[in-house]
Amino acid sequence: MKNKRRKNQWSAWWFLGPALLGIILFSVFPILRALVMSFQSGSLISMHWTGLSNYKYVIQDPYFAKALQNTALYAFTVVPIGMVISIAIAWNLFNRIKHSKFFEALFFMPYVTSTIAIGIVFRYIFNGQYGLLNYILRFFHLGTPNWLDNPSMNMITVIIFGVWLSLAFNIVILMSALRGIDPQHYTIAKMYGASDSEMFFRITLPQLVPTLAFLLTVNLINAFKVYTSIYALFNGQPGIAGSAMTAVYYIFNKFQVVGTPGVAMAATVLLFLVILVVSFLQNKLLNKVGRR
Amino acid sequence: MKKVTGIITWIFIILLSIITVFPFIYMVLGGLMSYAETTSIPPTIIPHHFHFENYVQVFHQAPFLKYFWNTLLTSSIDTVCVLITSLFAAFALTSLDFKGKKAIKILMISLLMVPSEAIIFTNYNTIAKWGLLNTYVGLFLPFTTSVFYIYYLNSYFQGIPRSIYQAAKISGANNWQYVWKILVPMSKPALTTVGLLSFIAGWNSFLWPLLVTNNDNMRLLNNGLANFASDGGAQTQLQLAAATLTVIPILIIYFIFRKQIIQGVTRDGLKG
Repeated sequence: MKNKRRKNQWSAWWFLGPALLGIILFSVFPILRALVMSFQSGSLISMHWTGLSNYKYVIQDPYFAKALQNTALYAFTVVPIGMVISIAIAWNLFNRIKHSKFFEALFFMPYVTSTIAIGIVFRYIFNGQYGLLNYILRFFHLGTPNWLDNPSMNMITVIIFGVWLSLAFNIVILMSALRGIDPQHYTIAKMYGASDSEMFFRITLPQLVPTLAFLLTVNLINAFKVYTSIYALFNGQPGIAGSAMTAVYYIFNKFQVVGTPGVAMAATVLLFLVILVVSFLQNKLLNKVGRR
Repeated sequence: MKKVTGIITWIFIILLSIITVFPFIYMVLGGLMSYAETTSIPPTIIPHHFHFENYVQVFHQAPFLKYFWNTLLTSSIDTVCVLITSLFAAFALTSLDFKGKKAIKILMISLLMVPSEAIIFTNYNTIAKWGLLNTYVGLFLPFTTSVFYIYYLNSYFQGIPRSIYQAAKISGANNWQYVWKILVPMSKPALTTVGLLSFIAGWNSFLWPLLVTNNDNMRLLNNGLANFASDGGAQTQLQLAAATLTVIPILIIYFIFRKQIIQGVTRDGLKG
């Protein structure tokens, strides 16, 4: 028996080996390395210790403050708006539409397709002169803002695109959660003459709380990492005159363009801490709500 | 009253599905317009005449065939490697008993919480040091393992009764035979999902290839596309044609396997 166990031990490490090697080299090591680099300065080839100066620099850098501010603005608008629209779509699909699978497949399309490619389409639709969106707005005699070229509109454009992008994942997850609710609840509620909205607020919503908590966490974390959609909308620029600069964009710039990896890593560590704190607070808040 | 809410629901759903799907349709149509049509006021929706020569010009202006090949190659290698490494690791974590199993599980769960953006830049550093910038190996190497898919498969394998493994052992099968002859056939749906999601993620990857390649010959589709859009000037119809080229292969895969993909995402919807 003992012999067999030992044999199993060896075998286990053989099976784990390839994955473990990859994880150590490309997940564990880079985290430690990022932490070390955040205390160093110089170029990638010759780095030396500088203590906390990178952190000092990042914290005092108005661009980083702006980047964090934009990131937070993005997260705290896109996530709630996206969630509310997704809940409305999912509930209506589930409750009132027969071919919900067909629509679900349509709504999920943005999730599997390239953000860069779709960003090019949105840039075209948002175009100030010949874009379709402004044509529609003009048709209804509404204002026609310059979505792409006016710095003060840039974050709004990014947020609209962000909401559009966020629906797909939310809807699919919500649909599967809705299908998981025991249909007997509804049957009984109907017998007692409950209205649609009563059923939604008394049965559906409470049962969805764990799913909503999960979605909120995933959405917030993703929102704090927003980068590719901005790159796509503004042709590789963080908006006009940096007006849509976000945290990951800042890190990328400091790392690749400016060539100060130490500063970039200090910003990375700070962003990671912000994400940790936000998801921690959000979990606490939800626990409080859930207990009530 | 019921009829009215029914109609409102339908209008709501149809309107939002149009908002979701229209950009894709517009992309395909715009890729077939003439330059004058893409910039006309009022905007053209359906081109007067399909300009398929836009595609010829796209291939002429940028090496999209090369981008295609690069993307297909790296995403396929990623997918095969991820499937094999995750299958083995998840098998070991589910069926085998060994010292340190708990520690490894804790390590993996904590790694799940680290955003990939936090490690991508230091990975660039590693790849640069190994002299692998602008190579295929540099493009796929960091993505040959995935904590997420190990976790995903592990939770799937836990649903398979342990007695099957024990029965296989008693009948004289070794671990290797068990994995290939029993575990793989039994977990085809989960493996398909992992393969599909990994391939799609590879196909759509952007930040990593942007970092490790600067040679036009080594670019992947999305970087080639972004570059084409900024360098190619204001030729909107060509940009849209190029975007269509990038998206269509994935949409075809998506519509064939949409059931597996949606099920896979909802089963354990983390990803990224």
